[in-house]
Amino acid sequence: MLAVTFIAIILGAAGPATAASTLIVAQDYPPRMMNPHGDDSDAGLSYMANFFDGLLQRKGSDGALVPALAVKWDHPDLLTWRFYLRKDVKFHNGNDFNAADVKFTFERLIDPEVSEFTNTGKQIDLVEVIDDYTVAIKTKQPIPWFANNMHQVFIMDKESTESRDPGDVMVKPIGTGAYKFVEWVKGSYIKMEANEAYWEGAPPIKKVEIRPITESSTRFAALVSGQVDIVTGVPVELFDKVLKNPKLQVVSRPARRSIFLGLGNKPGTPTADIRVRKAMYMAINEDEIIEKIMRGHASPAAQVPDPPTIGYNPDIKRLAYNPDMAKKLLKEAGHEKGFDITLTGPNDRYVQDAKIAEAVARYLAKVGIRVKLDVKPKSVFFPEVTKGILDFYLIGWFDGTFDMGRTYFKLVHTRDEEKGFGVFNGAAFSVPEIDKLLQSTADIVKPEERQKTLQKLNKMAMVDHIAWIPLHYQEDLYSIQKDKGIKFQPRPDRWMVYKEISK
Amino acid sequence: MATYIARRLIQGIFVILAASMFCFIIFQYMGDPVLNMVGQYASFQEIEEVRQNLGLDKPLYVQYGRFLWNAVHGNFGKSYVTRVPALGLILERFPATFELVSLAVLMAFITGVVMGVVVALKPYAWRNRLIMAGSLAGISIPTFLIGILLIMVFAVFLEILPAFGRGDTLQIGFWRTGLLTVSGLRHLILPAVTLAMYQLAVLLRLTRAGMREVMTEEYIKTAWAKGLPPRKVIFKHALRNVLIPVVTITGLQFGELIAFSIVTETIFQWPGMGNLLLTSIYEGDQPVIVTYIMLAALIIITANIIVDILYAMINPKIRYD
Repeated sequence: MLAVTFIAIILGAAGPATAASTLIVAQDYPPRMMNPHGDDSDAGLSYMANFFDGLLQRKGSDGALVPALAVKWDHPDLLTWRFYLRKDVKFHNGNDFNAADVKFTFERLIDPEVSEFTNTGKQIDLVEVIDDYTVAIKTKQPIPWFANNMHQVFIMDKESTESRDPGDVMVKPIGTGAYKFVEWVKGSYIKMEANEAYWEGAPPIKKVEIRPITESSTRFAALVSGQVDIVTGVPVELFDKVLKNPKLQVVSRPARRSIFLGLGNKPGTPTADIRVRKAMYMAINEDEIIEKIMRGHASPAAQVPDPPTIGYNPDIKRLAYNPDMAKKLLKEAGHEKGFDITLTGPNDRYVQDAKIAEAVARYLAKVGIRVKLDVKPKSVFFPEVTKGILDFYLIGWFDGTFDMGRTYFKLVHTRDEEKGFGVFNGAAFSVPEIDKLLQSTADIVKPEERQKTLQKLNKMAMVDHIAWIPLHYQEDLYSIQKDKGIKFQPRPDRWMVYKEISK
Repeated sequence: MATYIARRLIQGIFVILAASMFCFIIFQYMGDPVLNMVGQYASFQEIEEVRQNLGLDKPLYVQYGRFLWNAVHGNFGKSYVTRVPALGLILERFPATFELVSLAVLMAFITGVVMGVVVALKPYAWRNRLIMAGSLAGISIPTFLIGILLIMVFAVFLEILPAFGRGDTLQIGFWRTGLLTVSGLRHLILPAVTLAMYQLAVLLRLTRAGMREVMTEEYIKTAWAKGLPPRKVIFKHALRNVLIPVVTITGLQFGELIAFSIVTETIFQWPGMGNLLLTSIYEGDQPVIVTYIMLAALIIITANIIVDILYAMINPKIRYD
């Protein structure tokens, strides 16, 4: 009897009792740490953007670069970036924000113990404090996209970061951001509360609780059972179910990330012949991949960058699906009987990545190319990409700086270990003409000029040389409880910035 | 007894050493952890620099030797991903797993034994045949399916139990417990049932088989003939003997579940150790993986030794010399 009463109490207890001002979000990716420089992935930065501010920030659905801790910035010469800092800003511990914190932050970036931004940090020659609210950052080489990246580098409090135990810094963030850190129970939740003294005004939602749920069906169940208000990363195979549920609303937006296939042109390999690369491009039915595998939640891509990125070229069009033409091209290239090639790709990185690779293998089989599939976990796949030992691989990319310059140095420039070019050029693709043009962009700063040159470069890579076979842009899918009056506009970088959400 | 335990402990140390060595060998094929730690835009030199900092450029035996040397001094290294000590990271998750597994094993043991006895007494009653059929399902349906089905029924359709997580917890010293709040208990039910299902079925079948065998023994017939009440015959004479293998299996399973309740923890986003292990494998977080495996080996060995001791206590015939 006692047991029955007990069970009745447990089952009868009010379901998810949450105060109206609390927002509960199920995220598909758990935070690694609470150190704002230790994880440069967008998934990690997404958490940090709530506790910290950068010198600049990105706002709105097009990701416009606007002031944050710096009220304005200028670029007096090729190597110098000057930031004028906001006054009367306080860290969550009450310390004042000033130029010393900025200097400390940028100098911290070079330490690989605590930073994944070593690449940014090492390009800085010195950080000069002009006065309490003006800093000049001098870079070693011209970096045209330097300011574009300033929404990702979060400013830390010099005093408390230096005085605290390094382990404590890893788990307790102290920033200037719109939310103060309350508690992080690893694997369970992260709780934060509004910073009422926030320089941009106190955020409308007072309490936020983030629950990382990696298993997609559990994330879906949490939403349907009303335990959470917003879910990020709705899997495409569950999308129709969410759509049918009257309690839920779906929010989607084109993602910035494009998915594409990398090819090599090492002399002696079949893909060294541009006709073969073209044939492979034409043999893949991308529309069918979008329809059948992505269930309509993707849009065809003709190039790597997405429209808001400097370097996106609207003149580049996809080559139409044409297997007969592909066969003809292969015949011309002397591969009438086809050839063997290995397609490598991750199976835990992009939406439906392994299935896309399977589909590609099937399409190529139809024109006689025998594809050996080699899909593997990302932790095994990416090291192979950086070694440049692949023949043919599936990868995705988008650049947080909204400028293709930095990305193209990593993706298409001939591999050069010395200079650090071509790290993600996985099949060692190399065209001197592209390298030369790319290098010439390094000291172009004016956006219009950059746009023109990078567009030209993009066309050269995509049309003249077929450096990659572009597939599609992903779509970011979110789902929210319909009747709770949540106003939520997804961001292009997929960050969840709670000061932008209201309910 | 003391020599026996000492011998088992020495064996245990070798098992743990072997497990850790095995981990290091597997790491060679698990991909490059450095790439996960340097950021997307790192250059070749920066990647190499981090590799050297971590000592991952050294040959395998040097890496392993250094790991052992540090481990002997109580330092199991820092997690590559979170950059905090690996052992602390794992122990922080221990209470969640321990509470889940304890409840699951308790449920499985009590229900399994009681039902096993009931079924054994009247094996041909239709209700008991149904239970046996059910136990087959318990053994053969994979854990992830049971978990998802329970979530669908109780969280999504009936909306009476939460679908994931641990609910409200209280921190008492180093131990974070979910047993003292209503929300914590509500969250515990579904994952515990999921985890218990297989164990329950195994224990039920084991008890039933044992009971049916024992009930035909001469001494039971004597007990009946003496005119003892059924309660005494069944529980004191029969069940006590049947329990010996049942306790053994329960103990072994307890250790194993503490170490590897990965599937259940993942489905219910239970913040336990299994969940951490899975994430660490995905991220290539080698220090956490190897520390975890060593700890798991330690837990299983300890559980085995405790079972052996219990065995001797239940069955006075057993002597360890």
